[in-house]
Amino acid sequence: MITVGLRTLARREIVRYFVVFSQTLLPPLVSSTLFLFVFGCSIGSRIEVDLGGNSYLEFLVPGLVMMHLIESSYANASSSLFISRWHNHIQELLLSPLSYAEMVCGYLAGAVSRGLIVGTGVYLISMLFVRTGVAHPMWVLYFALTVTVIFASAGLLTALWADGFEKLSFWGTFVLSPLIYFGGVFHSVSMVPDALRPLSYANPVFYLISGLRYGLIGGSDVPVGISAGVAGGLAVVLVGIVTSLFRAGWRIRS
Amino acid sequence: MSVPAIAVRGLVKDYGSFRAVENLDLDVERGDFLAFLGPNGAGKTTTIHCVTGLCRYASGSIRVMGHDVTTDYRSARRRIGLCPQEFNFDPFLSIEGILVYQAGYFGIGRADATVRARRLLDRFRLSDKKDQDFRKLSGGMKRRLLLCRALVHDPDILILDEPTAGADIELKYQIWDFLREINSAGKTIFLTTHYMEEAERLSRTVVVLHRGRILHRGSTPDFHGDKDLETRYLELVREAEAEP
Repeated sequence: MITVGLRTLARREIVRYFVVFSQTLLPPLVSSTLFLFVFGCSIGSRIEVDLGGNSYLEFLVPGLVMMHLIESSYANASSSLFISRWHNHIQELLLSPLSYAEMVCGYLAGAVSRGLIVGTGVYLISMLFVRTGVAHPMWVLYFALTVTVIFASAGLLTALWADGFEKLSFWGTFVLSPLIYFGGVFHSVSMVPDALRPLSYANPVFYLISGLRYGLIGGSDVPVGISAGVAGGLAVVLVGIVTSLFRAGWRIRS
Repeated sequence: MSVPAIAVRGLVKDYGSFRAVENLDLDVERGDFLAFLGPNGAGKTTTIHCVTGLCRYASGSIRVMGHDVTTDYRSARRRIGLCPQEFNFDPFLSIEGILVYQAGYFGIGRADATVRARRLLDRFRLSDKKDQDFRKLSGGMKRRLLLCRALVHDPDILILDEPTAGADIELKYQIWDFLREINSAGKTIFLTTHYMEEAERLSRTVVVLHRGRILHRGSTPDFHGDKDLETRYLELVREAEAEP
């Protein structure tokens, strides 16, 4: 049930990123335009690899959308919770009768909505460069939602764990970015040397990108069912962990 | 006999190897105005945080208007308004927004929350600042805003952690008058302060805490007798300090 308290927290989270939209919503749209121009139009036209009958630009679009779904949802959740801990206005929530599940859902609502807005924006911008269409809309919706929930939860975990800005940026820089870039935003697993392919298969982001690619252009590196299982499983596990940590008061109650 | 507003039994709170609160038993009767006194580090704020749910505790139980703060925390938290020492407002919201959102977290719809927020801002003479960023307010205005936030959901119990720290004399009297008014109207008030004059003028009950234990609990006039409260308080604390 969506209570007044949960609605209020979700609205607060959404207001927060709209207040600073020049830092939260515009930069991904600018960087995507640059990626599409440089990698898609300039370099991509010279790449001659079999990508299931798709051009490199068509292949690139789902990867870029996924990259921004991940980065936006993660950044929103991690920065919002961390700042509220840093300024200690998280007490406003902790003193309220919101349940711990409502607190988590409120933060997730903000992060998921920001991810979806940015992801949609990136997709619309890509239409200026290439018309890909949407092969399987329901799979697109499924992966967009599960991926934003996964990385919003990961952002909340980071914000709980971090006790300074340095630690806050650690996971994003040293873990998330390598996972995204090696996960197949810019390349198919068929382009990876045989010896390194096990690394791709061990990377959960690879399955998520592959799943969204199936939804958008109809082709993927792994069967969509496997990708869907990985996405759903990760979302359930991470939301469960975050909710448990909120309930236990880890790093938010002394 | 009615259930106490706050009932603490055997409360123990540790920070690592340091015991901040030691087996504390405390009842705060409904409608009382209780001054919770003690030197720095006595465990006053820790006790408040345990009561309000900001702190986990090792053992004991705390009930607020009969509701356990751990197992029935949602009901317990509805009954409490906390006015903390620090100005911990959400920097992304306007002054009115801070109150409207806080009311929303307590399940109060937006229209009703806006009415409540405006009434409080008017009462505390902050109406003309309602659209501003709280960082532009003076220290005294921020202190008034803390009170507004603590009251926006109309709690039964108001907990104040040094509410007049740094306030000028005019603001101090305004706050005192307001606290007397809402206490007369039935709200239970739990006040921590280092200003003995404040405790003496406002409270009906005094509790003195020292190293996490209660040194004294009783009516304010009985506590200080023919001395002023500050003298009696210092005597009591010095006696406790002298003990091994």
